[in-house]
Parts: sequence; C-alpha cells; structure tokens
Amino acid sequence: MALPAKILAGFSATLYAQPSATPTPLTVANLSVYASVSALAISGNLVPVEAIPAFGQDDAMASFSVAGSRQSDKIPTQSAPTSMTITAAWNPSDTVLLLLRGDAYNGMIDRTFVISATDGTGIVNYAFNGRVSEWQIDSQPNAEAKVTFTIHPRGNQYGWTAST
Amino acid sequence: MAQMNPVLYGKAIQYQLEQIVTPVPVYASFNRNFATQPKFITWNLRNVHQPVYTGIYQGVKGIDTPTFQISIFTQLIEDGFTISNLILQSLHGYSGLLGGSPNQVYVSKADVQWLYNSYDNTDKLAQIFLDCTIDVPT
Repeated sequence: MALPAKILAGFSATLYAQPSATPTPLTVANLSVYASVSALAISGNLVPVEAIPAFGQDDAMASFSVAGSRQSDKIPTQSAPTSMTITAAWNPSDTVLLLLRGDAYNGMIDRTFVISATDGTGIVNYAFNGRVSEWQIDSQPNAEAKVTFTIHPRGNQYGWTAST
Repeated sequence: MAQMNPVLYGKAIQYQLEQIVTPVPVYASFNRNFATQPKFITWNLRNVHQPVYTGIYQGVKGIDTPTFQISIFTQLIEDGFTISNLILQSLHGYSGLLGGSPNQVYVSKADVQWLYNSYDNTDKLAQIFLDCTIDVPT
C-alpha cells in the first residue's frame, strides 16, 4: 500500500515506546524498515499521551550582513531534532509510563519511539531514537493528574516508513 | 481506561443521597409526590464524559467527571435549606466511596455547587438546586 493520499486527522496519531528497561534501540538503517518499526507499534508499547506534539527539526541558521549591502543572507546550519514535550494522563501503574519514568531518572537510556499516523487503513510511521527527560507530575485540582515529560531525539537517528 | 457504566453512577448516587437525607425520600428525575410528601429530593445525571486522547486505542482516555443535579422540593422553604445543608456538609469535598455495595463507585473528589433556590406559589413548593461533580478514576 502506498502512502495514504489523504489529510490525516491529528487524533489518529499514536505514540509507542520500545519495551524493556535496558533497550537496544533500532539501528539507523532499521528505523527506515517498516517491519522493524511496526514490530514496536503494538498495543503493549502504547504511550497513553493526550496529543502528539510537534516533531521534526529545529531551525538553525547563521546570518551574515555586509555593511552597505541592502540584504543580508541566512545560511542553514546544523539543525537539531525538535524536543517533544508530551503530556499524558497519569496512571501510576501504567507499565510504559513507568518505563519512561525510569529513563528520565537514568538519563542515559536510548530508546526507539514510533509515531504512527493512520487514515484507518494505511499507516505512516516516524521512528526515532531518543532519551526521556524532565519527568513531572502535575496534580492541579481542576483536572486529572497529568505527567509531562520531554523526549530529546538523538541527532540523525530517525526514519520514515509506511505500510505496504 | 474503560468508561464506567452510568447505571452504576445512578445507583451509587441514589444510594448515597438516601443515606445523607434519610428519611427524606429520593427519586431519580421528577416525581409528583409533592402533593402528599412535604419534602423529597430528586436527582438527574448529566455530562458523563471522559476526555478522549489521541491514537487508535479506545482506552486512551482521561478521568470521568460526571455531574448530577440534586433538586430539593419542600413545602417549607426552611426545610429545603436544612436538607441542602445536609448534602453540602456530607458531599462537598468528599473523597471515597460513593454509594454502597454493590451500587458503588469510588470518587477522588466530590464538588457541590449550590445553584439557587426558588418557590412555586401555585403549588406551594419550595425548590433548591445543587450540582455535584464527581471525579471518578476508572
């Protein structure tokens, strides 16, 4: 199946995290292999997030100006992956959330994450390796308790795949 | 998390309100017993809803925060205020078991808002309305 030629609903996106307290993240090559990525995109690896935040690349550029010149120039430079700040309803016994909490305490664990978007039949996966940081539980009284954490993707460790 | 069955909410509300205001009778929705009963209360459940979050799995939802309205009907205005105070003192800020076995749910918090009182001169019927919102972890 080719990529869905549709505009996808934001609600269709699901986040998965590779299991195990000491995971071996996918290789850069395998991040672009559908079979490798889809093996992680299963219900047991579901991260119960409220919404998928923006992901991709940050902007990075240098600007130069020359005295007397009308225009300056912006030169794209090395851009970092966008850090994803994620909010999930906090279920204190959710195994995947506990796994990510362990990652945040450790700070050194690389794990593969998968964002799957679907039109109902076709699936598009964005897989990347990242580390979890900034694990905070927010218990404001006007809503359910939430956990907010940030995934910092590792540079150049990502891949796009689609169901075939 | 799974959506809680509203039937259980109804049974728990009925049970708990009866416990609080006994011996005043408690009914679901309106009941025209005011002709023979000097005081009684009714309740109506609404806004049963867990927020739905992203993705293809049905279980990814937030906490349920249904509201039930409590309507107090009395022939004497003061009786209604007294009953409303009973409900406020018992339910407002309450955390724990709502209802009783087997008609029960556990609530993290109950929040009562005393809305307004009124009086129907034709029927000689005093009325007080309260909203109670409960946080139900499921």
